[in-house]
Amino acid sequence: MARELLSILLLAPLTAILLSLVSRRSRIAEYATVAAGVIDLLVSIPLLLSVRSGSIIWANQYILVDVFGGWVILCISIVYALSSIYAVGYMRLLNEDERLPAFYALFSGFTLTMLMACVMNNAGVFWIAIELTTLVSTFLVGFEREAESTEAAWKYIVVVSGGISLALLGTILFYWGSSFVLGPSYAMTWAALRLSAPKVYPPLLLISFLLVLVGYGTKAGLAPMHTWLPDAHSESPAPVSAMLSGALLNASMLGIARFLGVVTGTSVSRFAHAAVVGFGIFSFVIAILFIVRQTGIKRLMAYSSVEHIGVQALGLGFGGPLGMAGALYHMLNHSLNKSLMFYGAGNAMRAYRSKDIGSIRRVLKVFPVSGILWLLGAIGIAGAPPFALFLSEFTVLRAGMQGSYRWAAIVFVLLLIVVFIGFLAHFRAMYFDEAPEGDIARLPWTAWRTLPMWMAFLPLLVLGLWWPHGLWIIFHQVFHSVMGGSQ
Amino acid sequence: MFLAHIDSLQASIFSSLAILSLLLTFVMLGSHWLKNYVYAFAAQSWLIAALSASVGYFSGYRELYAIAVLTALFRGLVLPWLLMRIVHRLNVKREIHAVLQTSSSLVIGACAVMFAFVIANHMSRQQQGAAHVVILALTIMLAMKFLGFLMLSVRDEAVSQILALLVLENGIFLGSQILVPGMPLLIEIVILFDLLIVVACFGMLVRFLVVHAGTTSSRELNRLVG
Amino acid sequence: MTLSNSVLQICQVLSVLLLAPLLQGFILKAEERAQRSRGPSIFQPYRDLWKLFHKQSVVPESASWIYFIAPIVAFTAMLIVPLLIPVLTDRPLPLSDMGDMLGGGMILTLGSFAIILAGLDSGNVYGGIGSSRAAMLAILAEPTLILVLVGVSLLAKAMLPFVVNHLLLSSASVYLSPAHLFLILAFFALLLVETDRLPVHSSTHLEIYMIDEARILEYSGPLLGLIKWASMMKQFILYIIFCNVFTLPWGLSQLGTPMGQLGAVGSLLLKFLFVAIVVVVVETIQSRLRFYRYQEPLAAGFLFAVLAIVSSQLL
Repeated sequence: MARELLSILLLAPLTAILLSLVSRRSRIAEYATVAAGVIDLLVSIPLLLSVRSGSIIWANQYILVDVFGGWVILCISIVYALSSIYAVGYMRLLNEDERLPAFYALFSGFTLTMLMACVMNNAGVFWIAIELTTLVSTFLVGFEREAESTEAAWKYIVVVSGGISLALLGTILFYWGSSFVLGPSYAMTWAALRLSAPKVYPPLLLISFLLVLVGYGTKAGLAPMHTWLPDAHSESPAPVSAMLSGALLNASMLGIARFLGVVTGTSVSRFAHAAVVGFGIFSFVIAILFIVRQTGIKRLMAYSSVEHIGVQALGLGFGGPLGMAGALYHMLNHSLNKSLMFYGAGNAMRAYRSKDIGSIRRVLKVFPVSGILWLLGAIGIAGAPPFALFLSEFTVLRAGMQGSYRWAAIVFVLLLIVVFIGFLAHFRAMYFDEAPEGDIARLPWTAWRTLPMWMAFLPLLVLGLWWPHGLWIIFHQVFHSVMGGSQ
Repeated sequence: MFLAHIDSLQASIFSSLAILSLLLTFVMLGSHWLKNYVYAFAAQSWLIAALSASVGYFSGYRELYAIAVLTALFRGLVLPWLLMRIVHRLNVKREIHAVLQTSSSLVIGACAVMFAFVIANHMSRQQQGAAHVVILALTIMLAMKFLGFLMLSVRDEAVSQILALLVLENGIFLGSQILVPGMPLLIEIVILFDLLIVVACFGMLVRFLVVHAGTTSSRELNRLVG
Repeated sequence: MTLSNSVLQICQVLSVLLLAPLLQGFILKAEERAQRSRGPSIFQPYRDLWKLFHKQSVVPESASWIYFIAPIVAFTAMLIVPLLIPVLTDRPLPLSDMGDMLGGGMILTLGSFAIILAGLDSGNVYGGIGSSRAAMLAILAEPTLILVLVGVSLLAKAMLPFVVNHLLLSSASVYLSPAHLFLILAFFALLLVETDRLPVHSSTHLEIYMIDEARILEYSGPLLGLIKWASMMKQFILYIIFCNVFTLPWGLSQLGTPMGQLGAVGSLLLKFLFVAIVVVVVETIQSRLRFYRYQEPLAAGFLFAVLAIVSSQLL
């Protein structure tokens, strides 16, 4: 059953790619992508449920579908579905109809590579999949062919390629370290690495893990390796930004979490967890510094992504079932909320024809209904109840207070206050400040651009009020399967 | 393990090839002309292919011969050819602005090699008869990483940055040939082809840079700040 | 029938004496051929020397006894060095105990030093320029030379060139080791500088740009012939050291028979052919460096020598 589901999951975007490339007509490409998104979303839920009972290993140990992978697949599929609906409405505004089939092909290709990364059992092949995501998304980032977009795409590919080459070095060192235990030729599955990790020479293990952390941290957007993130997320078209923020960062955190699970239980575990916490806090600090004085609307969202990745890293680093649960719940909530924010930002940019926060004023006049959604999303992303991010951040905080990282948790709380004030100050200005006289911005309403916002907002509200017990069980299972149950 | 049983002749051959590759990295670090940069990279790739072949010969992993041939072809011929095409098309011959003088960057590179040696020593202390080749391979792998990032930082031409990224990968490849020759073939081949795709993507991007941003020097790509 | 040791030694010195102009002629012709012109015959240096020895000598008024002694000192030094290094045979001949590698290096430098003094002797301004430039090059090259000799001694754990030769012949792992490769590269850089090849060359007739020729501007006739012969022999000797001690240690006569000697001479010429072609290729693809950049190839050679020493200790 799970195999069929996985096949459908991977074949749907593939079919969308083929249809887009072969037909070369933007309408067909749009509908194919939306269909693929919806199919993936519908398939990922039973897939997650079906692997609760046990992970599935397939194709000569190369493919692994476990609960963790299933959860990240769910997050990615949600963003894929919502973004593909939004993209239909948004990309039509760009007046680039001839290039749209290529765009949708790249879009589905991007999703396909991310989904593949989630099911890879071999650490080396995982790296290859992540590298492929970089290559495909570069062209998405530079899609608009402006000077800024090309510059952003260049910075993206250079910084991220440099970063993940460090991750490759770390992977090779992991392989080498474990080859003393498992022999010179073996399949580098996560389970094999975790089995041999306690017997590997500790300094070697630690250096390998730190390299992997920095490498995949570059891809995930942890500071100080985040320098590509504001540029790439702000210059790409809004649906692509949502995918980058909501899906790609999650796939990279998957890599970090799996490697963290490999070294948990060994003698370097404390240092490794401390390193992850350190990066998390540093991301938080950097993000806040740049949020407070930000002038671009999408850059603001990008730095908010850095902040939330910091929260996820904190959750992983604090450790324990609670920390893991917080981080995982945060993955889902952040995907939903950030997609909402980017859709709103995309709408605002198109309406006001500018990326500056200073030119966006009196949003409620232009977007009476979706403007309310956007504002509520902003309150949610700043971490306030009753939205879901509050619950996940609170859980991470609890995990921090329990363990030995009280200082980090206290810093976290203080910085959250700063984020709340800083982030919402921009929104207050956008919504309630006086607008300069001039022609009112307007944008024709279409369901394509508003429906995804509703679809992102409602689960956010529901999950903020009710944490399903089933999810608790799933998170516990993830913790035990990834971290080995020992801490 | 293979490395525990090598004799001095094999150690000499591996050491010589690896050290010459490192030297070529220094040549790349110190050269201003993009042509020399690309030729040094090609020579380095050939040396690494020779290293692959000799490891395959002495260790009995016959598939390394295939890897050696593929490396020599793709990294040694196709990649430099693609890069020279990009250089010709861009009509840039040399690095105009040097952030760091040649001699300073060579000295920093030497310090980086020494630092890498210290780390490599520390990492391999566990094995009782740690062959010198192991420490050398680790040193060179880490040193080429440092030198690659150094090149990435101080150079602003787009082609130089591409080459710096390729040097990073070359370093890893070199180290993995000596340290883990038994790594599954699939991964090695895919990494090899991955590089080809990377360079193709870079080629396209560089063209976009020229057309839309008007320049390939990252010194002038400063529209996105904050 | 093995020849006696003294005959072998005389053969060594004679081969250096008589074959040095041939090497010079070959290099000049190869250079010209590489640039697609015909070039002089390879026996031309012999004819030049013959011509010089039959010309009248013109001596400046301000010359002192150094003027007459210097060419003789240089010539004699170049005759002594072949006794110390493996030229034709690979076993040490009796008089080779007179000096080890450092001693040989010192005697080579003595010859250059004598010519530097000669350039200063007559008070000619161009002589002074030439001597100062040559002295600067010597200062830059000496540390590299010393370090190369130290590196070779560390590699072979002995100071005699014969031991190094045997070691390289017997052990392929030492031959292919990084230390040895670095020493080859360092000595190659030195070879280019000391034998006055590009990028250090100055083949101009304008005195203001000359390095080595300026020192000998005042000489004519037989004394000039001696000096030129001495410089050709120095080139020959450096090639011998490069081939027999470092790069291509094969082909030396072991028993000392006349046929062995002839064979050794033949293999020597063959090796020199190969090295000379490499030198000509390296020279042709480069252009001359500006004077203040002469430190660069020598610094590279120094770096290689240091790396050789380091890697011989660590690996």
